Amino acid sequence: MNSETVVQGLTSTKEKLRITIILIAVIGMYIYTSRATESSILDFIDGWSGFQRIAVDLFPPNWSYAPLVGEKLAETIQMAIIATTVAALVSIPIFLLSAANLFPNAWIHMPVRLLMNILRTIPDILLAVIFVGIFGVGVFPGIMALFIFSLGILAKLMYETIEAIDMNPIDAIRAAGGNTMQVIWFAVLPQVLPQFVSFTLYVFEVNVRASVVLGFVGAGGIGLLLQQQVSFFNYPRVMTIIIIIFVAVVIIDYISNKIRERLV
Amino acid sequence: MIEFKDVSLVYPNGTQGLKNINLKVNQGEFVVVVGLSGAGKSTLIRSMNRLVTPTDGELLIEGNNILNYNHRNLRKLRTRVGMIFQNYNLVRRSTVMRNVISGRLGHTGTVKSILNLFLKEEVSLAYQSLDRVNIAEKLYQRADQLSGGQQQRVAIARVLTQQPKIVLADEPVASLDPPTSHQVMKYLRKINKEDNITTIVNLHFIDMAMEYADRIVGMRSGEIVFDGPVSEVTEQTFEKIYGRKIREDDLVGGHDNE
Amino acid sequence: MELVMPPKKKRPTPILIRNIMIALALIALYIWTFSTIDIRWERVFSERTITNFSRVIPQLFSPDWDAFQKVMILMWQTIQMAYTGTLLAAILAVPFGFFAASNITKSKTLNILSKGALDAIRAFPELVLALMFVAAIGPSPFAGVLAIAIGSIGMLGKLYSEVIESIDMHVVEALEANGANKIQVLFYGIIPQIVPEFLSYAIYRFEIDIRASTILGIIGAGGIGTLITIATANRNWDEVGMILLIIIIVVTAIDYFSAFIRKRIV
Repeated sequence: MNSETVVQGLTSTKEKLRITIILIAVIGMYIYTSRATESSILDFIDGWSGFQRIAVDLFPPNWSYAPLVGEKLAETIQMAIIATTVAALVSIPIFLLSAANLFPNAWIHMPVRLLMNILRTIPDILLAVIFVGIFGVGVFPGIMALFIFSLGILAKLMYETIEAIDMNPIDAIRAAGGNTMQVIWFAVLPQVLPQFVSFTLYVFEVNVRASVVLGFVGAGGIGLLLQQQVSFFNYPRVMTIIIIIFVAVVIIDYISNKIRERLV
Repeated sequence: MIEFKDVSLVYPNGTQGLKNINLKVNQGEFVVVVGLSGAGKSTLIRSMNRLVTPTDGELLIEGNNILNYNHRNLRKLRTRVGMIFQNYNLVRRSTVMRNVISGRLGHTGTVKSILNLFLKEEVSLAYQSLDRVNIAEKLYQRADQLSGGQQQRVAIARVLTQQPKIVLADEPVASLDPPTSHQVMKYLRKINKEDNITTIVNLHFIDMAMEYADRIVGMRSGEIVFDGPVSEVTEQTFEKIYGRKIREDDLVGGHDNE
Repeated sequence: MELVMPPKKKRPTPILIRNIMIALALIALYIWTFSTIDIRWERVFSERTITNFSRVIPQLFSPDWDAFQKVMILMWQTIQMAYTGTLLAAILAVPFGFFAASNITKSKTLNILSKGALDAIRAFPELVLALMFVAAIGPSPFAGVLAIAIGSIGMLGKLYSEVIESIDMHVVEALEANGANKIQVLFYGIIPQIVPEFLSYAIYRFEIDIRASTILGIIGAGGIGTLITIATANRNWDEVGMILLIIIIVVTAIDYFSAFIRKRIV
C-alpha cells in the first residue's frame, strides 16, 4: 500500500446521504399530512378536554343493559359463523383452480386470482353498504359482505399453501391412473386439510371483529346498538357494549388459537 | 411386451432426453437400466407410462402405440403400468391403507372413489398386498410414521393393488441404506417372479444390478450403449457405460447374508 | 372363496369419545346459529330486491366520472390519514415492543402489562375506536388518525416484540463483555438487528391502514368513507361505483409499491 486509507465514519458517505434524504422526506411528509388531517400535537391538546369528558362519562357501565347486548352479540357471532362456513365451502373450487401447480394453464388460474385480488381490496363494510342497498337492512347483507370478503382471504391463503405442497404423491396417483378429481381428493386435500381448518378459524376471528361494526351501516349485529347509544350520548350503556365486545373477542380468539396450535 | 421403435425425446428447453431408442422387453422379464445420472434412465422409464411424452418414434405396449393415446386411453394404460419412485411418493398424512387403496383409482369411478366406495374385493386385495410385503400390521398408521424402507414397501403394495402387467421403478433404493435396499429389491424380484410382472428398474449401483437383473440395459447421453443378459456383463461393460473406471461409490456393498 | 379382509380399525375409547364430543359441539353450534338467527328471507327474496338489484348493480359498473375530482380529493385525504396514523404508531409502538420483549425487559410485570395492553387494543376494530373518538372530539379526520394510530400500535407492538425476542443475543453478550453500557448495547447491538424488520412491518401496516382509512368516513372520521355515506343516502350508485373503482386501484397500487419496498429492505 502506498497511500494511507482515510476512514470517514462507520458508514459510507453515500449511504449516509441516502438515509438522510429518506428521513427528511418521511418527516416532511408527516408534517404536511398531520397538518392536512388536523392531527398535530396542537390538535391533540385542543381535543384533550373531549377525551377527558368521555372517559369520565363512560363509567360506571350500565349492567342492566347487558341482556339486550348479549342478544345482539349472539347475532354478531352467528353472522360470522354462517359467513365463514359458506365461504370455506365455496372457496374450495376457487383455490384449487387458482393453484398453478394443479392447473398450469395460465388461462385458468390467472383470471380466478385476479378476481379474488380485486375482492380483497374492497373493505367489507363497503360491501355491506352495497348489499344493504340491494337486500335492505338486516343480517343477510352483513352475512353476504363477510362471505365475499372471507372468500378472497381464504382463496389466497389456500392457493399459496397448495403451491407449496409435496408434488411426489400427485405423480404417484397420476401414474396409478387417477384423474384430476382423484388426484385432488387423494393427494392434494389430505396434505392441506390442517391448514385449511386453521385458516378457516383465522377467517372466523377476522369475521367476528368485522361483524361487530357492520351494524353501523344497518347490516346486523351489535354495531347497531353501539352507534345508537353513542348518538344518544348514553355512555354508561356504550361502556357495557364495549366491555361485552372485548370479552367476547378475547374468548373467541383464545379458543380459536388453542385449536389452531394443536392443528399444525 | 414393450417395444421402443426409434424413440427420441427432446425437452422443451432443447435438452435431448432420448436418442433413437430401440428396445424390446418381453413379458415377465426383470430388466435393470444402469447409467450415470442424466444418462436418460429416468426419461426412458417415465415415457412408458407417459409421465413424459417422447417427441419421435413409436412406443408399443402390448402392440399399441401409446404415444398417440388420448386422456381416456392414457388412464387405462396407467392402470396396467405401475410405478415405484425414489421418494416413495406416499401421501404422508394419510394412512397406509388409504395410500395402498389409491392403487385402485384408475379402476374406480370418480364419485365412488371420493365416497370411499371401494369393492370388498379391492379392500381385500389391498390388505393382501400389504401382507405380501410383510407390513400388514402397519395398516392404520400414518405413512409419515414409517421408516424409508417401510414406506417403499407400502409403495410396492400400492403398485400390487393396481394389478399391473408392468412395474416401472425409478431409482427405488436411492434414498435407502444398503440392507434396506436389498430388502426392497428382493420384494420387487419376488413380485416379478410370482405374478409374472414385467419389471424395469433404474439403478446406479452396479453390484445390485448384477445381483437382481435378468438383463442389463446400459444408457449414456440418452442412448442405449449396452443391452444383454447379466452373464455377458463384465467390468469393461460398465466402464463403457459409465465412460470411466468403476469406483467404490458405484457399489452399494452390504450384500445381505440373511 | 372367502375374502381376506383387513381387521377393523381400533380407536382408543378416549379419542372416540373426544371425536363424538367435537361432532356434537359442532352440530349444537350450527343448530343454535340457524335456529335463532333472524334472516328475513321474505325480504331477501322480494320484488324490492329484484328492483334494487337491477338499479344498483348496473350503476356500480358505470362509474360517475363527474364525481372523479371530488372522490380523488377525499382519497388523498384518506392516504394522508393512513400515513399520519401509521407513522405515529410505528414510533409509539417501539417502547411497547421493547417492554413486551422478555429477553430485553427483565421485569415480568412490565412484560405482562405491555403484552396485555397490546392484546386489548387488538380486540377492537378500528371503526369502534373511531366511533369513540368522533364522540369525544366531533367528526374530523383527526378522530380517524387516532383510531388508525392506536389500532396499529396493537399490531406493530406485538410484531416488534417478536422481532426483538428473536435477535441474536450473543452479539449483546459480546458487547456487554467489552464493557459497553446499556445505551451503547442498544445502539450497536440491538438496533442494527431490528431496524429492517421494524421498517418492513411498519410499511406492511401502512397497507392495512389504507384499507382501514377508506371506511372511517362512514361514521364521520374523515376520508373517502364520508362520500360513501352521502352517495348511498342519495342512492347515487354510480358515484359509489366511482369510489369503489378508485379504492380498488389505489389499494392495489399501494400494495404493489409497499411489497416492492419491503422486498428491498429485507
